This record gives sequence, structure tokens and C-alpha cells, in this order.
Amino acid sequence: MPGTPFETRALFDVSLSIRDGEFVGVIGHTGSGKSTLIAHLNALIRPEPGRVIVSGVDVGQKGQSLIEIRREVGLVFQYPEYQLFEETVEKDVGYGPRNLGLPDAEVKVRVAEALSQVGIPEELSGKSPFELSGGQKRRVAIAGVLAMRPSTLVLDEPVAGLDPAGREELLKLIQDIHKGGVTVIMVTHSMDDAARLCGRLIVLNRGEVAFDAPPAEVFRHGDELVEMGLDVPECVKLVKRLNECGFHLPDNLFRMEDVERAILKEVRGC
Amino acid sequence: MLKNITIGQFFPGNSLIHRLDPRAKLMLTVALIVAVFLSQGFAGFALVLLFVAMAARMSRISLKFLVRGLKPILYIVIITFVLNLFFQSEGRVIFRWNFIAVTDGGLRRAAYMAVRLVLLVTSSQLLTLTTSAISLTDGLEALMRPLKKIKFPAHEIAMMMSIALRFIPTLMEEADKIMKAQMARGADFESGSLFKRAKAMVPLLVPLFVSAFRRADELAMAMEARCYHGGEGRTRMKQLRYGRRDLAAALAVALLIAAIATLNALGVF
Repeated sequence: MPGTPFETRALFDVSLSIRDGEFVGVIGHTGSGKSTLIAHLNALIRPEPGRVIVSGVDVGQKGQSLIEIRREVGLVFQYPEYQLFEETVEKDVGYGPRNLGLPDAEVKVRVAEALSQVGIPEELSGKSPFELSGGQKRRVAIAGVLAMRPSTLVLDEPVAGLDPAGREELLKLIQDIHKGGVTVIMVTHSMDDAARLCGRLIVLNRGEVAFDAPPAEVFRHGDELVEMGLDVPECVKLVKRLNECGFHLPDNLFRMEDVERAILKEVRGC
Repeated sequence: MLKNITIGQFFPGNSLIHRLDPRAKLMLTVALIVAVFLSQGFAGFALVLLFVAMAARMSRISLKFLVRGLKPILYIVIITFVLNLFFQSEGRVIFRWNFIAVTDGGLRRAAYMAVRLVLLVTSSQLLTLTTSAISLTDGLEALMRPLKKIKFPAHEIAMMMSIALRFIPTLMEEADKIMKAQMARGADFESGSLFKRAKAMVPLLVPLFVSAFRRADELAMAMEARCYHGGEGRTRMKQLRYGRRDLAAALAVALLIAAIATLNALGVF
């Protein structure tokens, strides 16, 4: 609301392009503009001023069919389980495809496929989504977006509020989706997840892009990240401390297993 | 689209109007409404409008904001206007088409009712815009306290109101979020027939209700965890106290009512 105390400037001077097949992480402190950025990606928010181009189509153009863009870019919000509304899991997942105007048979096929993709057993598809567990609900909600078969999947903190096992499962699922040829953009608060999974990180700070680089390079700027209210992955911290004590470990290790192997290698000299 | 609803919204500030005692503000708003009902013509309305505009200026609320708050009642105003226009047959006929006749008396009456409605909403808006939900319900509770003698649940009602007011923006935000999530799944809330649009609201309303109930449940639990047990023996951190500015405001409203009464007595409409 311009001209009132409620006016805020969420994003400023953001210029970036994401190529097909990338796995991009978006990190930033609360209020840095992450959610605003991703809402731009499928025209839920139009930039003013600015442009967003999806697959060569200017999203802000007048008369542009929004449904085309939303078919192209699937957006999974924070706590997506709160958007479930239908009587059965099957119907809920089919909501997106039905909105695309697909015939019933096609909807059915897509629903079954999306549900198996997220690992929801078939016998649950007739149940009410409100009877499922938290983790299952979330996976059903993600299936609801996958059923639209987007070429790009955008996830806003997909693992927030899940237990460790649920987190790992869901991250694995997202990795599998990426391997299936879908471009993935994921907002996350976990530096460890960002480092482990993403090929490229976009760091937002007060609505501006602070870094846009592969994880190894981003986490080299540890002090600056801390200043932005962010952190570096535990592995990076460990490697840094060890190197200060005379080790010579490479700085692109983001998995504890990799760090372990590198240490052993150095200690044993093999 | 949901962001444009300003009813019940608090506009933060530190003006004289903001700092008035909530009890005084509540009573003065009622008095202002009485003033609106008291005026028998446009001269009185002009006075009230002037008064409200001055108060809005003092509270540094932009007029645009006040006007925007009228949007939700626009249709009610229009319907009121049209009904009064056609069903009032006093006076000289100025327009006739088939069985529909518009008289100057009807036109006057219609404008009178519409302006009155607008003024009523604007004056009460001034209250909610300048008073936070907490102080508003504090004021209400204090004003209703005498009714406790006849077993009127003053505290409970005040608490319910403050919770309701507190959750309007939250639920609005929530609705906006769910709406966006469904739009990302291809939902269309804006086109199609009325029936189609009503049906399109289901994916918005079901999750909204579910989350409202969830929130209510969590809130009840959180209140109990902090030993909430009703108003009995409850003390407050902020004691309400009338000050000189409340007296000044009361005098101003009294003057307004007196002026309107005088206008009425003199027969100036």
C-alpha cells in the first residue's frame, strides 16, 4: 500500500536468470525478500517496476494467460498442507490438473503418478486429507503441485516443521524430482541443506542479491553471511577450524562423510 | 485484493487522538453517532463531517485511508440511495418513467440517508483506526463493568472481542496466503458467473476454517498454560485514567451536538 505506514520495499535491483535443470537454493534472513522473490516466479505478484520472463514469456504482459505460466512453474508454499481442502486425497491432488482443463482420465493418471512420486500409498487416496499425518499431508500437497507437471518446481521452505526423518525423506524426494529433469528452486533456512543439495545459491539481503554463486564460493564469505544474520554449514566450520590448526582440507566439502574421508586421507596420507 | 479492507484495522500513531482514553473515545464515538442521527439536514452533516475531518487530520490518518474504508459499504450505500429514491413520493415530481417517479423529496431523502450512512461508518472508523484492539477492549470492559451486577459477562465479551479483532488481520493474511497457494494451482477467483465464483471460494474457505479452528484450539491451550481463568481478580498493567485531553475532546463533541441541536431548533436544514 504505497503512501501508508504499511508500505514496504521487498525487493530491489534483483537481476538473475535460472537455466533449465538447475537446482538453485535461495537463502536469506527473515524478511530478506525470499518469499516475495518466488511469488514473482509464477505471476502471483507482478513486479513494479521490472520484468519476469518465464520460458521466453513476459509474465507481466497484459492479456498473458496466467494459467500457462502456472502450469510451467509449480509453486509449493510454506506449510503447503494448509491448502488442502477436498474430501479425498485423490480429489485434492486433482484440483490443479482439473483447473488446467484436462479430461478426467488424464487427471486420474496424473494424480496416481504424482501420489506414487511422493510415496503416498494408493490405499490412502480415498481418505480425507485431514486424517493424514503431518508429513503425509505435506507430501499430498506437494503432489498437488506435481500433478500439474511443471517444468520448474519452486519450494518455499519445504521441510520446515518436519521431524528429522521426514526432512530427509522429503529432501530425497526433491532430489529425485530434480533428477527427473525438473528445475528446482528451493528456499531454505538450513545452510547444511543448501550446501548439500544446491548447485547454485542465491543469497538475499534486505531485498538485494548479495551473492549468486556455487555453495563453495558463497560459504567462503562466512563473515559476511554472519553479518546478514545467516550462517555457514557445520561442515564448513569444521573444515575451517581444522585448516587453522594446520590441516589442508579442500573447502568444497558439505557432507560429513566427505569431510571424514578427507581428514582420514590427510591423516593417513593415502 | 484482500489488502484493501481497512475496517477494524489499527493505524499506528502517537497523535492526540491516539492517546485519548479508550473509554472516552468509545463514549465520544457513540456521542458522535448520536450527533449524526440528531442532524435533520445537510447543515448538521456538514458540521459532523468538518468535525470528523478535523479529528482525522489531528490523528494524521490520511483521508485516502478513511475513504478506502468506505469501499466495503459502497453497495449498501447505493442500495439505500436507490430504495429511498424510488419509494419516497413526497414533493414535486422531477422525473417520470412508466410507473417510476422520482420526486425532489425522494432525492433529498435518498441523499440524506446515504450521507448519514457514510458519516456513521467514517466516525466509527476513526475510533478503530486510532485505537489498538487491546485498548479498545480494555475500554469496553471498563464501560461494561457496571453491568456485571446483573450477571452480564463483561470480561468474557471483552475478551472475545479482543481475540476476534486481534485475529482479523491474521486471518486476512492467511486467506491471502491460501488464495495465492490455490492460484498457483490454477485456481481462478475472479472470472466466471456468480455461481462459478462462489464455487471457486470453496478451496479458500475450507482451509481458512480449518486453520481458524486450529488457531482457536492453540490459543485456548496457550491461555490455559498461562493460568487464564477469566476476569475474576485480574489486574492490569495499564490502568486507564482520564486526562485533560479527554475532557477537551468531550467538550468538543458536546459543542458539536449543541450546534446541531441549535440548527434543528432554528430550522436550518
